[in-house]
Amino acid sequence: MSAQTQVSASLITEDKTNYRFRLNLTRFFIYLVLAILLLITIVPVWLLFVNATRSTVEIQQGISLLPSKYLISNYNILLSRGLDLPRGFLNSFIISGLTTVVTVYFSLLAAYSLVVYNYKGKQAIYNFILVLVMIPTQLSIIGFYQYMVKIGLDDSYASLILPTIASAGAVFFGKQYLESIVLTELIDAGRIDGASEIGIFHRIMFPIAVPGAFTMGIFAFVGAWNNFFNAFILISSRDKYTMPMLVQTLRGDVYRHEYGAIYLGLAASVIPIIIIYFLFSRYIVNGISMGAVKE
Amino acid sequence: MMRSYYKKNYFGYLFIAPFVIGFLVFGIYPLYNTIALSFTNTTMMKADGAFVGLQNFERLFADKTFFTAITNTWALWLMNFIPQLGIALLLSVWFTNTRLRIKGGGIWRMLFYMPNLLMPSAIAALYFSLFSYYGPVNQFLVRADLLPEAVDFIRSPDVMRGLVVFIQWWMWFGQTTILLMAGMTSISVAVYEAATIDGASIWQMFRYITLPLIKPVMIFILVTSLVGGMQMFDIPFLLTDGRGSPANSILTSNIMMYMRFRSSQGHIGAASSVGVVVFIMTTFVALLIFYLLREKTDKKVKEVRS
Repeated sequence: MSAQTQVSASLITEDKTNYRFRLNLTRFFIYLVLAILLLITIVPVWLLFVNATRSTVEIQQGISLLPSKYLISNYNILLSRGLDLPRGFLNSFIISGLTTVVTVYFSLLAAYSLVVYNYKGKQAIYNFILVLVMIPTQLSIIGFYQYMVKIGLDDSYASLILPTIASAGAVFFGKQYLESIVLTELIDAGRIDGASEIGIFHRIMFPIAVPGAFTMGIFAFVGAWNNFFNAFILISSRDKYTMPMLVQTLRGDVYRHEYGAIYLGLAASVIPIIIIYFLFSRYIVNGISMGAVKE
Repeated sequence: MMRSYYKKNYFGYLFIAPFVIGFLVFGIYPLYNTIALSFTNTTMMKADGAFVGLQNFERLFADKTFFTAITNTWALWLMNFIPQLGIALLLSVWFTNTRLRIKGGGIWRMLFYMPNLLMPSAIAALYFSLFSYYGPVNQFLVRADLLPEAVDFIRSPDVMRGLVVFIQWWMWFGQTTILLMAGMTSISVAVYEAATIDGASIWQMFRYITLPLIKPVMIFILVTSLVGGMQMFDIPFLLTDGRGSPANSILTSNIMMYMRFRSSQGHIGAASSVGVVVFIMTTFVALLIFYLLREKTDKKVKEVRS
């Protein structure tokens, strides 16, 4: 072995260790940034849950990252000031549950129509749905409200649930999903067996599309659960208030110095969603990815 | 076989009918109604107002608060969108880079996304409590000797504006990261391998491969974020007193629309005019962005192919 090759070999190893060192340094820096971002993401939510279990005096005395034992007393304060938490919970569950069923069923039906059949105007309808995703629908809420008053549907859950029959985003997602699962052979088999078209949709397509329907349903549920603006405009009776509307009343004078109770009310409004998220995060993350990457 | 297909095709109309009818009844008609109402002086007391022509719009454009609201809405959106996209680009490059091999990408991403699902009104109320005079943020800053005494954050226009921007960023950077990662992982590894052989640096690969190829995803993010941002309501509404205080610093156009609607008279006509103006502005800008950027990509692709 000549001297020259030895030198170049040692240079290469030096280069390699150098490269590895730099890579590890970069990695360390990245993990540091990720850890900071994680703290920013988690700490406010963590404080919310911890403070829900602490008394107002404790909360005013200082920050703690550990829970205390005042959960029940905070709950009693909350109820004694006239905040009907169980009722709000039930109301929100009814609305979100029905919204989920309506959105999933009608959106899948529309998506099925776009995927399986060929008819005049199909492409136009699909293009229109794409445009709809980009339209700020909340801005027509005043006209919607006045129209609901006219037909006697204001202050009713129907005014919150029925519009979700036409959920452009859900139809778009449904179409993407249905295209990814092969079904023509199954549909043909169903037709040969003499099943009706709607029967094929219900009994053959739906069971196959359950994972997609489930993802769609999670988004519909979360959206309905968190929806404040529409409910705030349309619902006026106190016994019909949804969770976000109750959260809004927590800001009132009645609770001015009851921090523990306020935190508990807020925690209660987000806990179902957090549970859903930790159970089904895979569906949710995949669902978001699917909505964006097309063609 | 073919004939039976054609016969069955009218079921297509039948199955899409609920969507179309639902959209006409609950989407198009309310929009038409809002536009119609914006030309009347309808109030809560007077259900059938008279036609007043452009009066509502003339008043609206003569109102300085309206321009404050529009400027605020744009500023609050832009100030959160730019860092949101920046951080998300950084994170998605880190998570997808094969050389860096960052561990637990799925878990990081899942945790970063979580705030997005939380109820915005609860989040606003939470941050209000955290930043209140006796709240944890003041406690922490005073005890750590970073502040001589507690600051009344809620009354500071700059802090509140910053806080709305921060909350929006906090809620959306995770979602943007997921979307960008979806775009990046759909790019073939072979392209990067070829570039590595040609001696391209990480930055060159990002600039000339990743960025052009994730353009459709970026347009999607930009447009949906814009449309959402122009309708910003829950966070600024519940963070302070529901009137965009302090000093109209976080007054958005949707808050203004709501204030007209819930004024003592309940000016439905005037509130509609706010909705109509913002609707036209948002739709116009969204479609403009969509078509401008989309056509450019198509041209480039054609140039490369020819």
